[in-house]
Amino acid sequence: MNKELLSSELLKIKRKGFWLLTVLGPFGVVALQMMNYAYRKEYLLKQSTNDWEYYILNVSGFTPFALVLGMVILTSFLTSIENETNTWKKLISLPVSKASVYITKFTLLASLLFLSSVLLMLFTLLYGIFLDFNGEILHVTLFQYSFYPYFASLPVLALQLWISTVSKNQAVPITIGVIGVILVLTNSYSPFPDWIIWKWPSLMNQWDKPIINVVLGIIVGCLIYIVGMLDFIRRDVK
Amino acid sequence: MEYVVETKNLTKQFGEQKAVSSLNVTIPRGEIYGFLGPNGSGKTTTIRMLLGLMKPTSGTIHVFHKDLKKDRIHILKRIGSLVENPSYYPHLTAYENLEVWRKILGVPKEKIHEVLQIVQLSEVTNKKVKGFSLGMKQRLGIAASLLNDPELLILDEPTNGLDPSGIIEIRNLMKQLASESGMTILISSHLLSEVEQIATRVGIISKGKMLFQDSMDKLRELSKPNIALRISDAKKALRFIVSKGIEADYRDDHIFIPNHSDEDVAELVQQLVYHNFLIYRVEGKKRSLEDIFLQITQEERLV
Repeated sequence: MNKELLSSELLKIKRKGFWLLTVLGPFGVVALQMMNYAYRKEYLLKQSTNDWEYYILNVSGFTPFALVLGMVILTSFLTSIENETNTWKKLISLPVSKASVYITKFTLLASLLFLSSVLLMLFTLLYGIFLDFNGEILHVTLFQYSFYPYFASLPVLALQLWISTVSKNQAVPITIGVIGVILVLTNSYSPFPDWIIWKWPSLMNQWDKPIINVVLGIIVGCLIYIVGMLDFIRRDVK
Repeated sequence: MEYVVETKNLTKQFGEQKAVSSLNVTIPRGEIYGFLGPNGSGKTTTIRMLLGLMKPTSGTIHVFHKDLKKDRIHILKRIGSLVENPSYYPHLTAYENLEVWRKILGVPKEKIHEVLQIVQLSEVTNKKVKGFSLGMKQRLGIAASLLNDPELLILDEPTNGLDPSGIIEIRNLMKQLASESGMTILISSHLLSEVEQIATRVGIISKGKMLFQDSMDKLRELSKPNIALRISDAKKALRFIVSKGIEADYRDDHIFIPNHSDEDVAELVQQLVYHNFLIYRVEGKKRSLEDIFLQITQEERLV
């Protein structure tokens, strides 16, 4: 990847609402708990002995959903910028390798979503402090629930990018994206088998070790990324 | 001769169908190459292969004496291109659109104003491209293709959808670029009349096959004038001329015979007069290049 390509990508997403979505996602997740705690704080505090832990778990309930939805929306936005007047053909006829074009798109999306995760941690922490819980702030738990889902959902991001860039019909990536979001939602009611990648952001697995989802997410994410990139390079430009 | 572009047996197959078959395109340095053919003849496919957007099924492409397969990025640094419909980002301004490409090309920022000046879009530098007319978008596309001072400019149907004044503007621009900077230009079109006045070399393609590739002058030679005669009792006159062993045919009230020397024509006229035919007109009629173009491409269609 080169710096110039990334800075030209940043220019392209101007006025398209990418930054707004990046902030809105994590804010929405915490805002749900704002409503929750504003209406029934007394009741919620009685539910557990560790207020911070219970609060963080509450926040994290919506994180996988927001994250995967964010991935679907941002990816489809980003590819729609090139599809709108088919700027792919102009982009690829410039002196750049197709691999670097693909990696730049992925890097941009991964960075925006990482920023969302940082903001999620920040918003969670700030509202937590505002709620003035008894007991110490659980920094490690807060860190885990802010960033583990991000790494665990990288395979979804790699898959969405692959399908969006090679599909002639954008209904395909959007349909798969929507199905993915539905899977993430239903997973919280009746968990799926561990091999389904849309389960991973929930950090659930049969061994009860969230770190497994993180490691799997990074490895499988890289694999899908590589397959997607090779396919993108192999194909003729639309 | 030094060729900037040279393809050998270039072939592209989509399933069963050959979009381009065994094409040998040769473009000498400094020429304006008119790449002509009806819609769907394989022009765009060829151009896409020249730019590395599509991989050939077989055959080779050399640009600046380098193999496109191996040196794609080096080659593309020296090429400017506009493929089919203009590509632009509607939500960005003209300046920002060029800035997107400029960053990738790594040329100085001043180039943006310079190319906008060339295509006469300086006044709308900071306007969003969304509101541009088709002609303006096309010109913006040309501006983008000039950002890196290309040695080879590839323009696919650059005048598509433009009004006559827009077409003339682009034609003048091409002329100017070729004469001032010695750029080699490949310009494709489905209309001969569009490139007739600027092209120095022509390639005519139909159904993926090259039917004619030579200098514009060679193509013009094919349009040598015929002699048209308007004579009383044309049918009888036609029989008479044919009986003299001269090739002739009758259409639109005229008898056409191939070009002959002045003496031969004089002799024939004398004979006709002697046999009491009344001669109203003797004219040299030129076949237009368009006729020749149509004939070349239609002969292929009939086969």
